[in-house]
This record gives sequence, C-alpha cells and structure tokens, in this order.
Amino acid sequence: MFKRHKSLERKRELLFQGLPQFTMKNNTRNFHSLSQLVLSAGPLKTTTAVKHSKTTHFEIEILDAHTRKQICIVDKVTQTSTIYDVKQKFHKACPKWYPSRIGLQLEYGGPYLKDYITIQSVAASSIITLYFTDLGQQVGWTTVFLAEYSGPLLIYLLFYLRSSYIYDVKESFRWPRHTVVHLACFCHCIHYIRLLLETLFVHKVSTGHSPMKNLIKGCAFYWGFTSWMAYYINHPRYTPPSFGNRQIIVSAINFLMCEAGNHFINTVLAHPSHTGSNACFPSPTYNPFTWMFFLVSCPNYTYEIGTWISFTIMTQTLPVGIFTMLMTIQMSLWARKKHKIYRKKFNSYVHRKSAIIPFIL
Amino acid sequence: MAAAAATATTKGNGGGSGRAGAGDSSGSRKKKGPGPVATAYLVIYNVVMTAGWLVIAVGLVRAYLAKGSYHSLYYSIEKPLKFFQTGALLEILHCAIGIVPSSVVLTSFQVMSRVFLIWAVTHSVKEVQSEDSVLLFVIAWTITEIIRYSFYTFSLLNHLPYIIKWARYTLFIVLYPMGVTGELLTIYAALPYVRQAGLYSISLPNKYNFSFDYHAFLILVMISYIPLSSTHGGLCPLTVMAVKIQCLPFYHMRLSSAEGSNVSLRLLLHCCHQSLDEKE
Repeated sequence: MFKRHKSLERKRELLFQGLPQFTMKNNTRNFHSLSQLVLSAGPLKTTTAVKHSKTTHFEIEILDAHTRKQICIVDKVTQTSTIYDVKQKFHKACPKWYPSRIGLQLEYGGPYLKDYITIQSVAASSIITLYFTDLGQQVGWTTVFLAEYSGPLLIYLLFYLRSSYIYDVKESFRWPRHTVVHLACFCHCIHYIRLLLETLFVHKVSTGHSPMKNLIKGCAFYWGFTSWMAYYINHPRYTPPSFGNRQIIVSAINFLMCEAGNHFINTVLAHPSHTGSNACFPSPTYNPFTWMFFLVSCPNYTYEIGTWISFTIMTQTLPVGIFTMLMTIQMSLWARKKHKIYRKKFNSYVHRKSAIIPFIL
Repeated sequence: MAAAAATATTKGNGGGSGRAGAGDSSGSRKKKGPGPVATAYLVIYNVVMTAGWLVIAVGLVRAYLAKGSYHSLYYSIEKPLKFFQTGALLEILHCAIGIVPSSVVLTSFQVMSRVFLIWAVTHSVKEVQSEDSVLLFVIAWTITEIIRYSFYTFSLLNHLPYIIKWARYTLFIVLYPMGVTGELLTIYAALPYVRQAGLYSISLPNKYNFSFDYHAFLILVMISYIPLSSTHGGLCPLTVMAVKIQCLPFYHMRLSSAEGSNVSLRLLLHCCHQSLDEKE
C-alpha cells in the first residue's frame, strides 16, 4: 500500500510537470496522459493498476540531479534491460554525455546505480524517475595505472642521468655516483617495470571507470614523490647509508624478495576463480610466497610495504621514508576495508587473521 | 588574514544558529547547541581571550603614551601577544571535539598561520621586531580578536549588542587588508636576515639525504597569500556581504580538497630543490 501511494504521488507530480508538454505531443502522449489520470483517481482502480504494471515496456524519465529539470525520456525499455542499456539510449538522445560519464540515482543523494542492475529490480511502476549527474571526463583503469607508473620510471631515470638542468655539472663530475645509487636505480626501475607489465598482462581490471580528476591526483602524487626522492638519491652530495654495505645488501635482498612476493600474490589474485563477484577466497599454494595468506588477508599490500621499507633503508633518504609512511597508511586503510568484506563474505574465514601486518593490524 | 575572515563568518553563523535554537523549545536547544558544561567552558574561554587581547591593547596604548612614539612598541606587548595567540590553538581542539561548529581545517589554517608568524618569523628574526609592519598586524589582530571573542561570548549568552555585531561585520573591511599588509611586509623584512644566517635550513650532505631552505619557504608562503587575497577583489562597503559569502565556498573547496595537499607537496618539493641551487 505504501509503495502504491508513493507511485501514485509520483504520477500526480508528473501530471503537473508534464501537462503543458503533453498537450504538445501526439496521440501517444494523450493516451499516456489519460492512463495517468485514471491511475491517479485512487485505489478504486486497482485492477487497472495491476494490468498496467505488467506491461513489458518501461518509460524512464531522467531529471538533472541538481536542477530537477527533465533532461529526456527514455522509452521502450524492456524489463530485462540493464542500467547500462538505459545509459546507451540516454547517450543517443544526449550525445554530450557518454555512458561511463553518466551517473544515475534512484533518489537524490542516493548511491549511483551499477551498470549491471536490471530495470525490473528497481522499477516501482512502468514509469521510472532517475536522477542524472555528470561524473566528468572518465578514464579507463588501465590508462590510469599505466600513466601513474610510467611517470615514475621515466622521471627517476631523468634524475639518475644527472642532467645539467637539474644538478651542477662541476658537482656531478667531482662526486661520482656511489654503488648504492646504481643499485637504487635498478631496484626502482624493476619495481615500476614490473607494475607496468602486470597492468598489461596480469591484472583483471574492473569494468568501472575513474574520473579524470583522480587520474591527475594519482599522477601528481606518484610523479611528485618520485621527483622528490630521485632528486636526493641521485644528488652529487648524496651520503651512503650509515652502516655501509651490510645495510645496503640486506635491504636489497629483502627488496627483491618483497618484489617477488607481491608479484606472485598478484598472479594468484588475478586467477579467474578469485575475480568477479562469485570469487572464492584465495588460498596458499605450493609457492612459499603465497604462504603469507595464512597470516594476512592482503599479502599483496604487505609485500608492497615491505618493498618500500627496504628501499628506504637501502637509500636512507628522508623523502623515501615519508613516501613509505604515506603508502603504508593508505594501504592499511584499503586492507582493513577488504578484511571486513572478507570476514562478512566468507563465514568460514579465520577470525584470528590480520588484515595487512601479521598479528598486529 | 583571509582565513580569519572565513572562519569568523563561519563561527558567526554558528552563533546565529545557536540563538535561533534558543527560540525553540529547550529540548531542541540542547540538541542543537553544545551542552551546558561546554557552553560554560566556552564562555570562560572567550572571556579570558577577550580580556587577554584587551591587555595587549591597553599595553600598546600605555607604551605609546609613555614613549611618545609608535616605534618598537612590539617589545612592550611581546609576552602577552605570544601567550594569547598561541592559546588560540585550543580553538582547533574545540572544532575537533565538536563543541564549536566550525571546520577543523579552516580553523587550523587560520590559527597555525598566525602562530607561525609569531614564532617562526617575528620571534626568530630579532631584527624585524622593531619594524613598523609588526605593529601593523599586531594592531589589526588585537582589534579583530577583541571584537571576535566578545562576539562569541555574547552569542553564547544569547545577548548580542548591536555595536558588537556592527563592529564584527564592518571593521573587517579595514582590519583585514591592514593585517595582511603587516604580515607580508614582516615576512619580506625577515628574508635577508634568514638568508644571511641560514636560519632553520638544512643543507647537503647529511645522513638523512634531505635539505630545506627556510628562505625559499618564506617566499612560497608570501606567494601563497596571492590566491587567498585575490578572492576579496575590491573591498568596499557595498560588496562586504558578497565577499563574506564568497569566502566560504572558496576556502572549503580549496582547503578541503586533495589538490591542496598536492599543491603543498609541489611547493615543498620546489622549495627543497631551490635550496641547493642557491648554495652551489
């Protein structure tokens, strides 16, 4: 009864809003107007309402989320159509906004509807009202990752080469690079080359898109920090680590192990049985690097943090330490969120397990 | 201080809503405003701060009358100025706890920028303490703060005299540019001494492999005033309300967005780079 009243109320609003337009339309519009008049008469016509709601076609009115003005009406939508299909039709009517840029809500301030949702699951009547928001220019996730990771790779090499634009030429010749500087460059490049290759050949990217603004933020963060740390590591007056080769070698070995660990975990996570909404929880295999799954929910983040801690110790540079701290904070938040999802999703999940740092967090 | 105006306006709105709440039932008033204990504490805090800044004002007048000149008046009010301006840090806590309906970011920016000017510039560079520009911002701050804290006090007591309200929204026109001018000139006067002494600067080589040039940092601070000040455009009585309205969305957008931190990051990066080029 409550739902019926709600839909009737909505129909009355439509009448008031759309009446002037209806008089301008053809006979089909007049028919719709008539049917709405009948429906709005009250609950006496329950039979007619039931019949009407069983029609196999829906009409979707799209309003601007802010101004509440009607943008267009998408009609002849079948009940098996998805939100994505609606976006396609909307794009035809209004070419300015392409599908991934369209944000649709059932109610103002509500969540954006996923593309895979079917019309019948959200339809309260044969006429549906959706609120539209322009999400801004959208970029594919692969593009985002490639941009974010290729920048650091190239920028670091630029500093490594000690271009005369960056450092004083006399200083560069006077102070040759320490061995650790070469090693740091090698490790840094390995890291980002691996990320780029994994983005292209390993990762299963979700079907969603990312706003252009996020791309800019991500690039600013990665490229900015890379410039900052590369400047000091490759500086002519760079000071090697306090404990000498011992500190360097141990850190380098740990770095490479964490790199390998992160890679293998990503490979496991990208396996078909661990992606999508029906994924089962990934479990350890014969590979020793995957045994971290016994201890934490997100070993990929654990290894990533280990990588940057190792790099920090290897280079003993404050900017790298700051970057490592920020990355740790961010990935801890992600891991905690994912940990909660796992615990909720898998009943047999071991509750003692940590999210990202064994036994601690 | 630009943020001061924005924060002042925000807090004014808060006070207003508090008064409106009083008009309704006592039940809703309790829900809307801070509790009685918090209100009592805030009244005491605002009274103390009003009295504190009055002490500074009286100190300035007495020193002026005694010396017959406005030069070097800073020395006569140095200690209370440091005490009460630093005491304003409590306001960040008030916002964080939630007993004051203002943005933590806005308040932090306003208070920290003043504390920075007091301790990191005026206190640290003795030579600028005798500059007239110091007097310029001290007088602007003193008058602004007396009005602001008494405004809060009376608002919390639900009895706001018209003269206070008028002063709050009118004297701002003169005091804001006066304060900003004093602050910028003070920082500018400090630059040569900072550079000469290498104050608060770290240079390579060192085992942390990090450098920082306070001189370049101060220049960036001065530059950062430009986008903040430019939003006020032309200051005249007819545009006062527009300016106040204009302040809020700009600062919320600027200070609460992530771009802000990225900008700061780039500024810091540039600052660090610049430090070494100058030394080489």
